[in-house]
Amino acid sequence: MLLPGILFKAAIFLFIFAAFASLVLMKYHKLCNIAANIICIAASIVGISVAAMQILYYSDNVIIDIYHSAIPFLTINLKIDALSSFFLLALFLLVLCVSIYSIGYNSHYYGKRNVGLFNLLYATFILSMFFVITSGNAVFFFIAWEAMSLLSYLLVVFESENEANQRAGTLYIIMTHIGTAFLLIGFMIMFSYTKSFDMFADSSAIPAFAKNIMFILFLIGFGTKAGVVPVHIWLPHAHPAAPSNISALMSGIMIKTAIYGLLRFVFMYMGIQNKWWGVAILIIGIITAIIGVSYAFIEKNIKRLLAYSSIENIGILFIGLGVAFIAKAQGNLTVCALAITAALFHSFNHTLFKGSLFLGAGSVHYATHSKNMEELGGLIKKMPVTAIFMLGGALAVSAIVPFNGFASEWLTFQSLFANIALGQAGLNIAFILAVAALAMAGAFAAACFIKLFGISFLGKPRSKYAANAKEVPAVMNIAMGILTSFCLLIGLFPMLVLRFIDKVVFSLVGSSIFGQFQGGFLTAAYPLKIAENAISPFTILIAIIGVILLTLIIIRIIGGKYIERKYGTWDCGYEALNARMQYSATGFSNPIKIIFKLLFQPTRRLKVEGNLVYHPKSIEYITSFESVFEKYLYSPLLNKTRNFSRKAKFLIQTGSINTYLIYIFIVVIALILYNRLV
Amino acid sequence: MKNALYVLVQLFVILLLAPLVNGIIKKIKAFSQKRRGAPVLQMYFDLWKLFRKQAVVSETSSWIFKAAPYIVFSTAIIAALLVPVSTLLTPNAFFGDVILLVSLFALGRFFMTLAALDTGGTFGGMGSSREVMISSLIEPSLLVSVFTIGLISKSTTILAMMNTTKNITFPLAQPAFIMVFLALFTIIIAETSRIPVDDPETHLELTMVHEAMILEYSGRHLALIELGAVVKQLVFITLLVNIFIPHDQLIALAGVSGLLLSLLIYVVKVILIAVLMAIAEISTVKLRLFSVPNLAALSFILAFLGFLQYFVLWR
Amino acid sequence: MDNFLDALSVLILFSSFVLVANKRAKSYIKTFRMQSALIALATGIMGIESFFADGHIDILIVCVLIIALKVIYIPNLLNKTLANVEYKVEKDFFYNIPLLIFICCSITAFCYTCILTIHGINTDVLNMQVVNSIALILIGLFFMISRKKIIGQMVGFLVIENGLFVAAIFSTHGMPFIVDLGIFIDLITAIMIMGIMAFKINEKFDSIDINKLKNLRG
Repeated sequence: MLLPGILFKAAIFLFIFAAFASLVLMKYHKLCNIAANIICIAASIVGISVAAMQILYYSDNVIIDIYHSAIPFLTINLKIDALSSFFLLALFLLVLCVSIYSIGYNSHYYGKRNVGLFNLLYATFILSMFFVITSGNAVFFFIAWEAMSLLSYLLVVFESENEANQRAGTLYIIMTHIGTAFLLIGFMIMFSYTKSFDMFADSSAIPAFAKNIMFILFLIGFGTKAGVVPVHIWLPHAHPAAPSNISALMSGIMIKTAIYGLLRFVFMYMGIQNKWWGVAILIIGIITAIIGVSYAFIEKNIKRLLAYSSIENIGILFIGLGVAFIAKAQGNLTVCALAITAALFHSFNHTLFKGSLFLGAGSVHYATHSKNMEELGGLIKKMPVTAIFMLGGALAVSAIVPFNGFASEWLTFQSLFANIALGQAGLNIAFILAVAALAMAGAFAAACFIKLFGISFLGKPRSKYAANAKEVPAVMNIAMGILTSFCLLIGLFPMLVLRFIDKVVFSLVGSSIFGQFQGGFLTAAYPLKIAENAISPFTILIAIIGVILLTLIIIRIIGGKYIERKYGTWDCGYEALNARMQYSATGFSNPIKIIFKLLFQPTRRLKVEGNLVYHPKSIEYITSFESVFEKYLYSPLLNKTRNFSRKAKFLIQTGSINTYLIYIFIVVIALILYNRLV
Repeated sequence: MKNALYVLVQLFVILLLAPLVNGIIKKIKAFSQKRRGAPVLQMYFDLWKLFRKQAVVSETSSWIFKAAPYIVFSTAIIAALLVPVSTLLTPNAFFGDVILLVSLFALGRFFMTLAALDTGGTFGGMGSSREVMISSLIEPSLLVSVFTIGLISKSTTILAMMNTTKNITFPLAQPAFIMVFLALFTIIIAETSRIPVDDPETHLELTMVHEAMILEYSGRHLALIELGAVVKQLVFITLLVNIFIPHDQLIALAGVSGLLLSLLIYVVKVILIAVLMAIAEISTVKLRLFSVPNLAALSFILAFLGFLQYFVLWR
Repeated sequence: MDNFLDALSVLILFSSFVLVANKRAKSYIKTFRMQSALIALATGIMGIESFFADGHIDILIVCVLIIALKVIYIPNLLNKTLANVEYKVEKDFFYNIPLLIFICCSITAFCYTCILTIHGINTDVLNMQVVNSIALILIGLFFMISRKKIIGQMVGFLVIENGLFVAAIFSTHGMPFIVDLGIFIDLITAIMIMGIMAFKINEKFDSIDINKLKNLRG
């Protein structure tokens, strides 16, 4: 009982120590970087072990009281139960790898920027996320949430000389504060009925209509942080602007705190009252998944593509959560447990593979100083180790056997399957549309990552940056390697993580799916089995390797020794191909851009010098697309707000002292009247 | 023991039958064009010849180019092991279902498209881009179709689906089944790159999709890819044929003779569907690339209507 | 038998989707012909059933009438009209085909969820066939909305007529004969008038694009 508490406090202290150390050693860049990151690594190792222990062996919650003050409601206490421990496990695993990575990555800031400041912000950002996940009352949750938003803003604009970064940061801070405002109103409503901010307490004092309003407020508030459509517009700008290790943290964990918030506040605290809550989340999930992945496919900036892919995965998580909420409202606890298992598993997997992919994008940027796919190419020969890990991450995110993305998408499909039953006409249609959307999003995601890996790493280099790229330092590859190998390991043996999730789900729902577990890690090789449908990715991998070996032997027998002749690529008999003749990223995504014209509104212009058909001197083809949401939803809103404020400025702020005095007079009279009437 | 026998029989039947199906389709197409055409067994000779030829590899390519044919072939073989040719011979433990099948083909397609981009040529990029577009549009339809059948048989395992339809008197007369059959037929045409989606015998860049991706391959790599493609085609046909036209409930014999009779009827059914595919190919033209979404939408509607008939109208 | 009728009703519904997916006027007529052939097949099956049950042959006569009119005469009439009218190859529909199909799909889902709750339909047999037919009527109307040329309006009207007929005959397995005859005569008259109108419009405006009617505003 005491041990987890002590270890958690140790982890907190180590992070504070890391922040302190980076502050003290600010002048010595290299020492500061290595010291701070090593302390973070130690802290995350402690954190991983204690979170794992807490889930598996301890059933009581860990309560850490830090500060009780005389100011009412301002208590700082942490309450760590199974759900929090699970998210902490994901957080610390990612922090471990990102810290290892930062030892190498931050070296390109030495002498140019303040590495001490970076590490200070980094350590406190991790600490703020820790407090968000583990806070014991709503006020402290809110404080930690605000701190998380502010610190991530400072990290996003760290490379502030670039103007695009500044705009991205501004957009991010505005959008996240709009979401936080909704959360605040929700908390206020919670307080006004229950007179307390404790979200582990009972919520039956809140009447049903207030719970509906709170649900909508929480959905918008947490949805803004998660990046669901239509409040997603900050994500594709903020994640690419930040340095790559911060992007990995933001995409990997920060948007998952929204999922944690939804589970904690809506599922556990309020309890699911109506079916329409789940249906709303399901429909939002479907729209987010499809739109996210469509925009991902036409991007040519590697990090923006990864950011849109995060939006798609949040959509998939929302689909899983929606199914869970609907099942809970119908009282179907086994299906609810299955759906939450699928959602939590996918969240964990997404942390791993998205972290790996962002770190890979950072490595590419480190080696070539470019994030634009159309300037890259042929990197597989210059950076072979990074390429293999990036390929692993790409396979994982496309939900391909035998990586972990497949296992969690399989579970999501099974949860949808279990929920379609005879007799509920409207819901069945929603579920089958969710299946179709999930299938399409999966196929599109595979297409995105074929494009990312194929155009950046394969073929001929398209610019001199790519031609002169060199392999990145070994620490960066080690970090990526850890994440990617975990992806493969969890994909082969999903039971390793599912036993943790099972405990969490048991504490949430009260029903356990994989209840018949015995033995230690020997059960890891069990096939994943839900009600007679079973898959065993491990068997499939062994079978694939077996078949390949057998094929090699048989071909050797039939065809003799393998002789190959190297020659140029087929060029139709004309002169040799150059790098400009390859497909570019824009060209690769052109068919989809034309098919989904409604979403992208592409424009094209052709400028020709000379005769177009016979003797062109130069041809310039300009195509552009724009985000439909910014143009049709946000810009009109912004213009209306601006016009309204301009008019209001003239009407209300007249500059005449007498008018201002009249305002004061009216307000005082109104307050006195309010006191009389109420 | 039973597992080993199952694996052997499956591999033997599917590897032997797959090139024959391709030969039959080509022969029927040749007849419709008033030619005699190549012999039906031509593909066997082609594969034998290709395995013994030298491979020419592009200088721009990396290990992905050489690894992709093996991955494509092995995923096709593993998929073949997941779809039983006869429900009389089944393994004791069955660790795969339709979603795994779809994902295996996705693995093969992933590496195929990467290998096409690996060569640094224009044809490869073009083939990859078109292939990726077509497969993304077809995938929802495929999953809704198999889900409908799975929901009717209450399981996503392929063997369970085949066993369920054995107990229905005439599956193709049920509205849900006939819609899903038509949807799956359209999907097979799209996945195996046949007219009207893609022409399997063309080398003009206007019309190539699958052929553009394998343009650079030669020797044993090309043989593996072609064999993988025909095995994939046969796996889809087996799925279609054994679920919608089940025959094992009519066989009263037991043991080896029953199994042999079952396999014989299976071969007849496959040839029937091959003839149907050939007739579909010769009666339409290849669609313009941007008309393929119309076909994909129609295929999705077929699957969706099938689902609605069963699950909303309770039949 | 019932299963065949169910399967036929859903195939007829699917043929209306194929109609919406068509882009050229000649294909509309071909698809309409195919749909009418399917309806004739269904009517024929019902006619044979009723013949063996009570010896009535009126449904069989209706089946023959359908074949004569909707499969042979009216499509030929439409083809002749089309041949004599100015035909420019241009886009005949709004937006793009997958979007139109998606809208038809939502219409079908909407029909299914709403009409199922009507008392009386929710008993066993009539369920599927009637709902499919009503969806057919709505899709025919949507087809009329989505097409710009007048040939689209004509075929859409015919599909609505088909849908009404199928709804009636699937729910009652036979109508009073005189009602059937009346409907058919109405149909022929309407088509002939529409054909003549198409000629006249084409003569006046050199085009059968009904959007040009907007020029008459004001």
